[in-house]
Amino acid sequence: MVDAAPPGVTQGALQCPKCGGQSLFDPAEGGLTCQSCGNVRDLAHPDDAEARIEYGYDPNAPEEEPATRPAELEHQCVTCGGRVIFTGQKLSENCPYCEGSVVISQPVDGYDTMALIPFSTQENTAQGNAQRWAKSRIAAPSDLAEQVAPARVAGLYAPFWTFDTKEAVSYWAKYTTGSGDNKRTHNVSGAMNITFDDLLVPASTHVTPLIRDGILHEFQPTKLRSYRAGYLAGFAAERHHMSVSEGLRSNRKDKDLLIRNRIKGHINRSRVHSIRYRTDTSGIHYRRILLPVWILHYSYAGKPYKIVVSGINGRTYGERPFSKWKLAGYSALISGAVIGFGLLWGAAGWL
Amino acid sequence: MDMITSGPFWATLALFAISTAVGMVQVVKVIQIREAKHELKQGSAGFLRSVGGWSLIFIWFGGVWFLATIIGDWGVSGDLAGAWERGQLRLRILLEILAALAESD
Repeated sequence: MVDAAPPGVTQGALQCPKCGGQSLFDPAEGGLTCQSCGNVRDLAHPDDAEARIEYGYDPNAPEEEPATRPAELEHQCVTCGGRVIFTGQKLSENCPYCEGSVVISQPVDGYDTMALIPFSTQENTAQGNAQRWAKSRIAAPSDLAEQVAPARVAGLYAPFWTFDTKEAVSYWAKYTTGSGDNKRTHNVSGAMNITFDDLLVPASTHVTPLIRDGILHEFQPTKLRSYRAGYLAGFAAERHHMSVSEGLRSNRKDKDLLIRNRIKGHINRSRVHSIRYRTDTSGIHYRRILLPVWILHYSYAGKPYKIVVSGINGRTYGERPFSKWKLAGYSALISGAVIGFGLLWGAAGWL
Repeated sequence: MDMITSGPFWATLALFAISTAVGMVQVVKVIQIREAKHELKQGSAGFLRSVGGWSLIFIWFGGVWFLATIIGDWGVSGDLAGAWERGQLRLRILLEILAALAESD
């Protein structure tokens, strides 16, 4: 992390200058709030405008960014292996990703965080959103809300990348027209340019791309702030451990899917298949950032699930179980309707 | 009584049971697509993955509907072989439609 100060210095900076009490970041106030006297300190800094700067990356040049060790104490989860940092007063004895117990570990090398978006969503709002999300699931077990109710959200800064790339794509594909004897398969090829701007990529295996797409619909670089330990006070944070090339590799499957979808749009015909393409990627720019999330863990029938709430705007998405009986009920209803329709069709002797 | 012991009745019951069991997976897909349309970022990789595979729902509908038409014909004519024969053109049209849907998925 950018803060290269030893742990004691970070701890000291989190103490209230008025009463010496411990301060934590309060999403409602948007600043460091003293837990004793309520004094609020604004963390805004003249450098904040620089937080949205993107850094160029040349895949053909050797990576020069040095890995560093964290100034803060690092904890490792004994269950999922996740490494998290608790800044200042440690609030949780459990891993915010999986709720496993954490132990203080030898800090390992990681990469400096360039910027973060501070928490805006408060814990109570996140808790309510997570509970409502669980309650509103179709075909969920009847006691799901009951199972989720006792679980509490935990605040965490999760590592993400933003990537900008320009893709010069050449493609070859096929599309089908007609049916029966008139069925024809046509070859099509073309070229197009695609620009990806601020593509958000999780830099942790704990936040899946699906959850990202559920909670992060829009990304506003203007909300980025320069990294300061004060923003983390009261929350856990995971460090960046991937090099830029590893980050780009981890996004390969998603980018492939997006490019194929754009190619389909470019061909602008139905029944497009057998897409092949070649892309020349240039103009790679990146940021290593932390984004705030509230994670609620619960288990159902012995299986762990999580609901994640965006710490930016409260958008919620997660994992959920299904009730086999309800699924069977819906399936039986649909089956009954389709079979009834088919029986009548056959009995009438229609084609 | 005759109807209850007849082949078409038991065939309908068996089709209903199999369709209900097989359809549970398709109902999950329907729910995932609905959730994706309401909750995932439109056009994102997660969205595209969640809505992909929708043609399987129509393959389920089509397969069940086709078998039910054979049973319906069988129930009225009492001739299973004839019902199957008469269903061949229907099957060909259905397969064309399902192939087109699968290509669009």
